[in-house]
Amino acid sequence: MSESTDIEKRTITIKRTFDAPRALVWEAWTQSEHIVHWWGPKGMKIQIKKHEFVEGGEWEYTMMMPDGKEFRSFGEYSRIKAPELIETTANFIPMTEGVTLVASFEDAGEQTEFVFKVIHPTEAYCKQQENMGIYNGWGSVFDRLGAFLTQIANR
Amino acid sequence: MRRDVFQAIADPVRRDIIDLLAEEPLTVNAVAERFEISRPAVSKHIKILSECGLLKTIPKGRERHCVIIPKELSQVSDWVEQHRKLWEHKLDAFEDYLNELKSKKSKHE
Repeated sequence: MSESTDIEKRTITIKRTFDAPRALVWEAWTQSEHIVHWWGPKGMKIQIKKHEFVEGGEWEYTMMMPDGKEFRSFGEYSRIKAPELIETTANFIPMTEGVTLVASFEDAGEQTEFVFKVIHPTEAYCKQQENMGIYNGWGSVFDRLGAFLTQIANR
Repeated sequence: MRRDVFQAIADPVRRDIIDLLAEEPLTVNAVAERFEISRPAVSKHIKILSECGLLKTIPKGRERHCVIIPKELSQVSDWVEQHRKLWEHKLDAFEDYLNELKSKKSKHE
């Protein structure tokens, strides 16, 4: 098995076309004043503890969950090529550790072609399984929240 | 030590063994021939796969053949699928915010 197919097997790739020019997409994705609005689940406030948007710089965002537990995400930017590409390590405590996130932005006039990759380290699969119980817990929090918001929106 | 499907696929040799056996059931010797590592090493990987519930050996004439139990592997794709959903949610949130930001900016212009 070649290394490339090996990586593909542990990568989640999501493609989106955003209806906004690349400069704006880049701004919304990279500036902390904007990140607070979308990084957490809807309606939840996150705190930006660290946001050093340079190669080798660290970021850390935290969020209080309704049950009082703290959700912590942090990582280190390994590659930044404005306004095209961002590569960063990422950890989501207590869910996922040691993933690499790659976001790429392609200029398409008034739109932006966006490709997002989550690359999981092979060894993490074991850990994932152990954390799955907790992970499922998180999933349901997100689902409940989503349902709740839809309810409010429809009132 | 706990054995599960994620441990089974954590090793590249075991993933190759799964790929190989997914095509056709083979004896341990036949599997070992396809790898550069020693036969005992291959045997050990096969044992782990078996303990993880991903592989079983069935008698075929005088030999025993290793076969993959594909049902167990679906746990992996389920997990990936769950993970994907979480990221899709995050990107949805980003997109909503982006549209909001865009309309805000165009009002200022």
